[in-house]
Amino acid sequence: MVSVRLENIVKKFGNFTALDNVNLEIKDREFMALLGPSGSGKSTLLYTIAGIYKPTSGKVYFDDRDVTELPPKDRNVGLVFQNWALYPHMTVYKNIAFPLELRKAPREEIDKKVREVAKMLHIDRLLERYPWQLSGGQQQRVAIARALVKEPDVLLLDEPLSNLDALLRLEVRAELKRLQKELGITAVYVTHDQAEALAMADRIAVIKEGKILQVGTPDEVYYKPKYKFVGGFLGNPPMNFLEAKVEDGKLVITEESAIPIPRQYREIVEKTGVKEVYLGFRPHDAEVEKGISQGIVGEVYSFEPLGREQIVTISVNDSIVKVFAPEGEHFNFGEKVTIKVKEDLLVLFDKKTEKALEFLAG
Amino acid sequence: MKDVETRPKKYEGALILAIFLATLPLIIGFSLLILSSFSRDMITNFDFKSFHPTIENWINVFKGKLAITGGVKVNMGKIILNTLIVALGVSGLVTLISVMSGYALSRMDFKGRKWMIVSLMLLHAFPGVALIVGVYLLYRLSFPEGQNFVRLYSFIYVIFARAALEVPMSVWLMKGFFDTIPWEFEWSGIIDGASRITVWRKIMLPLIKPGILAVALFSFLAGWQDIIYVRTFLIDQTLATFIEANIEAEYTHMPLIAAAGTLYLLPTIIFFLTAQQILLRGYSGGIKG
Repeated sequence: MVSVRLENIVKKFGNFTALDNVNLEIKDREFMALLGPSGSGKSTLLYTIAGIYKPTSGKVYFDDRDVTELPPKDRNVGLVFQNWALYPHMTVYKNIAFPLELRKAPREEIDKKVREVAKMLHIDRLLERYPWQLSGGQQQRVAIARALVKEPDVLLLDEPLSNLDALLRLEVRAELKRLQKELGITAVYVTHDQAEALAMADRIAVIKEGKILQVGTPDEVYYKPKYKFVGGFLGNPPMNFLEAKVEDGKLVITEESAIPIPRQYREIVEKTGVKEVYLGFRPHDAEVEKGISQGIVGEVYSFEPLGREQIVTISVNDSIVKVFAPEGEHFNFGEKVTIKVKEDLLVLFDKKTEKALEFLAG
Repeated sequence: MKDVETRPKKYEGALILAIFLATLPLIIGFSLLILSSFSRDMITNFDFKSFHPTIENWINVFKGKLAITGGVKVNMGKIILNTLIVALGVSGLVTLISVMSGYALSRMDFKGRKWMIVSLMLLHAFPGVALIVGVYLLYRLSFPEGQNFVRLYSFIYVIFARAALEVPMSVWLMKGFFDTIPWEFEWSGIIDGASRITVWRKIMLPLIKPGILAVALFSFLAGWQDIIYVRTFLIDQTLATFIEANIEAEYTHMPLIAAAGTLYLLPTIIFFLTAQQILLRGYSGGIKG
């Protein structure tokens, strides 16, 4: 159980910069999610923590130890791969025992530990089978067992759930979170699924193109995004963005749609003198009213009933916006509606830097 | 096994007939040879009248009696052993080299790697016969002094020279096999605490068993079937040189040679029949996708 610290990590593959000056601290016993789109560098970062890659420059610390030059086997990490990578020519027992056998542990000790960890993951009855005889979910437990059997200081997981079917994914998600808390093991979890990150992590690090944009609790990254990208990446359906100009204390989106600058932003807008912004709000944080009135005016583009609520897609000028509405209301295509956004849930981003206005100064 | 089923039914019969006719000369040739070995006189000129079945030839082959009359004797067992030594030597050497080189070319980055891979194809195209003068020169230059060593030396030299011809293709094959294994297996092994060599030995090699078998098999057959290099360098006789030496000799009873020839054919046929199962089996499971 250690804390992990990454200092100024740069990783280049030839001319391609995969990690651009990454600084990150993962606290002892913390569940940290590395969240980002494909190709953002999150797996590269994970493998750098593991020791499979050496950073081009920068340092990796476990607690106070500089492990940058240490090979993986001296770092005592466990790694669960996206496609499990179970050795197909070995039984489940041998797969799990492999790390301990490499350490030349005595036979009885190996047996005890393997059976312990197998029991913990409910695969104790499968020890004599081969990987190709197991279901996806079972294979994944074996992979986790193999990572845990050597009692690692850090548990690294590379999108472990993405090869499971949707229902199984939800099950295993809860189990994994529980397991991590019970074992008290520091965990770093790579995923591109924002729902997964929000559900499981103590803190989330959002990565884009090799840079960490924001680190915070699920609440923080969801409600107080620092960048337009972060706001748009978390949440399903994603945050809506509309371009607006600042004029006379109002935000003008179109001729018909001008709303007053939200209370929380009045001072900041004055101080920073920003003139062009992105207006961000989440589909749950607004209401749709029929007809034209004070607010953001648009036309109904489509609607999707979901059971107890529906998603209404509205076109505002040339932009598309999604808002949740109660199931009872009936909408027509092309109907004019007004969106009323809850004032204090609005987020404003500077158009040029795409940074949230609160963070523009610092 | 998937395939599109677009071939019209009526052509199937004609196709099978065509294939059969194309292979017919080969089948006839080999059949005549095998039959001749069981006959008192050769029937290879379609002279079926002279087919008198007997297993005399086979008994004589194993006894080493070359002629029906007279006392010309050869140590058949030794000849077969020599052929085996060459074949196994080539097979062992090629397999060992290719299994290590293939891994290095597939998994390790080093200067000149690209050139090496390209040169593999070029080297494979090189005919062994064209090199023979140079190889022979080296042979004479490094010829040992002592009487005892000479025969051992010729064996070693033949094995190394013949193996060298097989190495480019085999390395290419092994590299291909290593390429198919996802990196995660190696990473997993390294994380678990294995050194690079242990990963190679305990994880990679078992996963490409079909590839190793293929290379071992093909190089064994290359060694078994070789005539040119064996004729040039080996002081002892193998089945190939034995048959060649005795084909038109005065005292030779030809059906005996036919029997020797059939014997010579045997490993090739047996291997191709039995090894197919193992070669076609893949390793599934343990990884998704």
